[in-house]
Amino acid sequence: MTTPTAATPTTTGPPAGRVSRIRRHLPFTPWLFALPGLAVAAAFVLYPFGSTVANAFTDRRTLVAGQWVGAANFQEMARDPVFWTALRNSVLYLVGVVPALVLLPLLLALLVRRQIPGITFFRGAFYTPVVASVVVVGLIWVWLLDDRGLVNSLLETVGIGKVGFLSDQWLLLLSAMFVTVWKGLGYYMIIYLSALANVPRELHEAAAVDGAGPVRRFLAVTVPAVRSTMVLVGALSSVAAFKVFSEVYLLAGPTGGPAGEDTTLVMLVQRTGTGLTGRVGYASALSVVVFVITLALMLIVLRAGRKEDA
Amino acid sequence: MRFPEAVRFPVRTSRAARTTGAAAPAPGAGHPGPAIPGSGRSGARRRTTLTAVALAALLPLSACGGSGDGGGNASGKVGGSLTFQTWNLRAGYQDYFTALIADFEKRYPGTEVKWVDQPAERYADKISADAAAGTLPDVVNVSPDLAAPLAKAGLALDLDKEPAAAKYAKEYLPGAWAGNRVPGLGGTYAFPWYLNTGPLFYNKALFTKAGLDPEKPPRTYDELFSYARTIAERTRGKVATLANVPTIEDFGRYGARLMNEKGDGFAFNDAKGVELLTQYVKLYRAGALDGQALTATPESSGQKFLTQAVAMNPGSALDLGNFKKSAPTLYRNIGITDQITSTGKANMYVMGLAVNSATRNKATAIAFAHFVTDARNQMSFAKRAAIFPSTQGSLDDPYFTRQDGSDTARVRVASAKSLKTAVNYTPVLFSDQMKTALGNEVARALQGKQSPQQALDAAVKACDQLLRQS
Repeated sequence: MTTPTAATPTTTGPPAGRVSRIRRHLPFTPWLFALPGLAVAAAFVLYPFGSTVANAFTDRRTLVAGQWVGAANFQEMARDPVFWTALRNSVLYLVGVVPALVLLPLLLALLVRRQIPGITFFRGAFYTPVVASVVVVGLIWVWLLDDRGLVNSLLETVGIGKVGFLSDQWLLLLSAMFVTVWKGLGYYMIIYLSALANVPRELHEAAAVDGAGPVRRFLAVTVPAVRSTMVLVGALSSVAAFKVFSEVYLLAGPTGGPAGEDTTLVMLVQRTGTGLTGRVGYASALSVVVFVITLALMLIVLRAGRKEDA
Repeated sequence: MRFPEAVRFPVRTSRAARTTGAAAPAPGAGHPGPAIPGSGRSGARRRTTLTAVALAALLPLSACGGSGDGGGNASGKVGGSLTFQTWNLRAGYQDYFTALIADFEKRYPGTEVKWVDQPAERYADKISADAAAGTLPDVVNVSPDLAAPLAKAGLALDLDKEPAAAKYAKEYLPGAWAGNRVPGLGGTYAFPWYLNTGPLFYNKALFTKAGLDPEKPPRTYDELFSYARTIAERTRGKVATLANVPTIEDFGRYGARLMNEKGDGFAFNDAKGVELLTQYVKLYRAGALDGQALTATPESSGQKFLTQAVAMNPGSALDLGNFKKSAPTLYRNIGITDQITSTGKANMYVMGLAVNSATRNKATAIAFAHFVTDARNQMSFAKRAAIFPSTQGSLDDPYFTRQDGSDTARVRVASAKSLKTAVNYTPVLFSDQMKTALGNEVARALQGKQSPQQALDAAVKACDQLLRQS
């Protein structure tokens, strides 16, 4: 039987020339692996982003190359009442939707994490709206909330009478918020379920032994344990809520509700910048404003989370 | 804009790849060249790789645009390949277009037509993306409001200036040929294709419920407004008469002047315009308009009529089949009357085929656009699609003049008759953004937030600004 010697590795390893080539290429190797992803990001994210920022300072239209107009688009935006309406609606959407999407999925996750017979059905049911097409979901809710829809029929049956869910400016916005929350519950519930799985059972047991009830245990054990997940959900839902388009478009129609009073910022971008006569420059300026606000929101939420952790 | 029912189905069709040369390997790519002294094998391989990447990147660009031997000369030989884009027609009429293209390729040997069809939804966005990217198909299905921006950007061929195309002008109804003229530009920018118009449908059962004679539908605006108020009063607001707010066509049909004489500004805030909006404000307050009228689209209005939530709705011959299939109860109670106008001229919708001014195969593109829109082929299409041809004399065909006792024939004959004097009221320069601006100002007037005059003044101001910016 032969015993391994010190010379053995050198005889089985790469030749000296190849090692030196590998060393020479070592700094580039990670970039080569990242290159496909970087190329896709550069083509479909960075270039469009740079192009949008550049267009924001021009009067470019869909079929007409624009000229440099400086900050004229932003000045026009400040004077445009439709922009302020859209900004108001986007902010209201944020305020209405984010707290619900941070809290309700957590409560739902606490309900469905128990291992009881048939719970898989409920988990699946809560998650179904997430995988359903937003267009299909929107149309279903349009039928439900229509003047002659199921909800109004029920309200009439119990004597409340018709409610203009799709004709009143504020009820329309609330209805769209409700659809967003309903559709997002399952997604954030899954995130919370994974976070709850990491909360040690002993903490709950110790708290129970100390006499803490369910509410006290929720506030003193569960919430601190999933705080970082709540921050993440807050950040994700803030960005999604501020950029809302489909739900409002489907419920309020292309006009953005009665007299356009339910228009959101992204709807305004779409309405202004698309079509053969689209004002690409002005729509780009609107997009830049949406981007800046969204970025600021992310930073605020993340900073708030960090402060609490500290 | 309302189109025949057939063109509203959102059928997605994959677009034929146009960069067929892109996949071809670059000569020598993948094969290391001879070693260069001092550079080493890896350097040679890197250069080869870079060359291959550069060629692969450039090849798709070189494959853009049309191909063939016709060249840019409109009077050149008809031959080579071209791309033809339709607007949501594959779902219902694939056989027709396949045969039509085969006929053309047989008549002009050496031609090859690639047919692509786009869904109805966001069609304008698809065209604008193609136009901006320089990949507009050689022959494109457009409505006048889509042809206008293409013409302004120099992307649609001026048929009047191109003798090879202008010679066909006399084959079409003068009004249809003029339908694709753009104020301020001169010239005609699309071959007229099919036309459409339709009657006003009403629900006899709802008329009876409101105590109105179902055999005496309104024929004037005064009667319409009076009937609408009566229906609202007698059904205690449970039945509305109309499902939408007035659009630009309604203002035109009522007799408002839509644009100024120069064609560089809108003018629908005149006395007639204000009068119409004032009437609608009264109707809205009386409950004669549907509660969701302020956000209605043509599709949602049709749906309201289908579910018998409203008593009247405009439509076309094709809608009768839809009523029969989807709402048999409504079909049994359907009443049909003429469009109501103050001008005596019904509204019509016009479809056209624009020729890409940058096509490399101009002669073939013109020949094909004319072939699709000539009298024989339009007649053939009309018999399949419940639309109306825009060619001279076609509307005198017995198919459009003789009744056969059916409701469909009744609508068809009446529509064909009204088309002889019909007008496309929607100005070709009236964009989607302008439609939204008008709709929102009208909605504010209906809500009582401003007077009809203020609303129309604001709408005209907004539309004029959009016109200047377009």
